[in-house]
This record gives sequence, C-alpha cells and structure tokens, in this order.
Amino acid sequence: MTMRMRFFAFVALVLLMAGAAFAHGDKKHVIGTVEKLSADAVTVKTAEGSVEVKLVANTMYVAVGADKVAKPAKLADLQVGDRVVIHATPKPDNTLEAAEVRFSTAAAAPGSKPN
Amino acid sequence: MKRGTVILIVLLVVALAIGFLAASVLHNGLSAKATPTPLEVMMARKARHMAIPRQARALHNPVVATEENLRAGRLHFADHCAICHGNDGSCDTMMGSGLYPKPPDLRLEETQKLSDGELFWIIENGVRFTGMPAFSGHHTNPEDSWKLVLFIRHLPQLTTTEKMEMEKYNPKGPEDREEEQQEDDFLNGATPAPKPEAHHHH
Repeated sequence: MTMRMRFFAFVALVLLMAGAAFAHGDKKHVIGTVEKLSADAVTVKTAEGSVEVKLVANTMYVAVGADKVAKPAKLADLQVGDRVVIHATPKPDNTLEAAEVRFSTAAAAPGSKPN
Repeated sequence: MKRGTVILIVLLVVALAIGFLAASVLHNGLSAKATPTPLEVMMARKARHMAIPRQARALHNPVVATEENLRAGRLHFADHCAICHGNDGSCDTMMGSGLYPKPPDLRLEETQKLSDGELFWIIENGVRFTGMPAFSGHHTNPEDSWKLVLFIRHLPQLTTTEKMEMEKYNPKGPEDREEEQQEDDFLNGATPAPKPEAHHHH
C-alpha cells in the first residue's frame, strides 16, 4: 500500500468516528393470544392490553404442537386464538416489527381462546 | 503535484476531519447510538478494502461447502458471532444496534460481494475502530474461519430449521434461560402469560 493510500485510510477512519443521527435499541417480547390477524400485522391480546406487531418477509414462524415440539411454520398456520410469543424490533415510528413468532394452537395449549 | 500543494491539501483534510469530529462531540458526545452518514460508510468501506493486503483478498475458500462444514460454520457463528450479528446476519441485536459503526447486514450485497479472502481476513484480524474483534489465535484455527465464510455465503438462504438449531447454541445467561422457560410454559398451556418486557435478546 502506498503512503497516499495509507493516509486516505487513516483520514477515513478518523471521519468514521464522527456522526449525528440516532439509532434504536433491543427486542420487545409480546406475549398473549392472537386477537386479530392479517397478511401484514397481528394484534395480540396481552395482560397489558392489545398490541399490534407488523409481519414482514423476514419474520420467522415457529409452531409448538400438542407434542410440545417446535417446528418451522408459516403465517397461514397462525390463527386467531393461538397463544403467541413474539420477539419484535421497535422501529423509529414506534411500531413493532416481528423477528420471530412462536405460537401454539388453541388445541395444543388449552385455555388459549380469547375472552 | 507540487509538494506545497500536497501539504496544503493534507492540512485542509485534517482540519476538516478535526472540525467534523469536534462538531459531532459538541452535538452528542461520542455516543455510539449515532448512525454513520453515507459518506462515512463509503469512506470506511474504501479504507477497509485498502487495508486488506492484496494477496489476502485474492484467497479462495479451501474448505468445501459440504453439509457438515456448513453446519460447523453455522453453530460456530451462533456461539461466537450472533451476539452482535444475529443468527440471521441481520445485526438486529442489542449489541449490533449499540455499536458505532453498526455492523453491516451480512445478507446484503455490500458484504456478499466481498471476496472469500476479504471475509476471512476480517474474521481473522478484526476491523480497527469498530466492534469487530480479531478471532485468530483465540482457540480457533483458520479452518474454523473458512467455515464461517461458507456460512456467511449461506446466510441469504438461511432456513427456519437452521435458525432454530442455532438458537440452542447462542450464549445465554440464567435470566435468558428462565425467560425462555416461562415463554415455553405459556405456549404449552400454563397461565397466566409472563409479563412482557424489553429484553436483551440475541
């Protein structure tokens, strides 16, 4: 590497240490039963009220069956009344985006039907 | 170019860099919450590219992409890398979002277009002034890093089954395990639901 290239690399790294905008934090766990469901969002009835979480292409779905074994699933497998644990990313516009949706069917988890 | 002109340009660039840094410090301290500007990102990538020796960039992965090697890379990634990069390479983690600069989404072109040699060099040597540590010499051998390169190439096609297996290998503390158990109990029919809170999650 020439001296000029080394200098450019140094200056670039110095500049890298400066910045202005802000980012955001960690995952939120949303736990409850599915109250409402569409192709792009799920509303969960939690102990603290209803919470809407956006569903995106990268959202991962895992279903826990009556045998208590977790298996890969898809959005179509999720239904109103299912128990659900969602790990969601808070977004700057105060919405939640689901990274992982784990759920068990009403049949697999007795008592999970919404009130 | 005349020597005097070069010196003048160098002084100007240094003055600009110092001014930029000072403005940033006055604005928000040296907070790692900030997001680098596109210009900084571009310059940093250029600097990183130039900092990797040409011979290293030209290296090809000597490890064959067998199912066994891919799995080894995947589980190694889950154990050592996912705390910042996430199992899926998205870097959507507490550590990842809290670093400055933010680690890149490994699934995207900016990372995938790097050569095998560049990825290997970055894993082995780390990247100065970032959160990326050097992994060579710490109970690992080069073959482990080459397997990680294989896995990074596979990230855009990561399956749910693979991700579920990785979750078993993520380092977890007692609180994480207790929380996981509560969530599993809830899904298996226990009531009531555990109190939802924000968590440090891998």
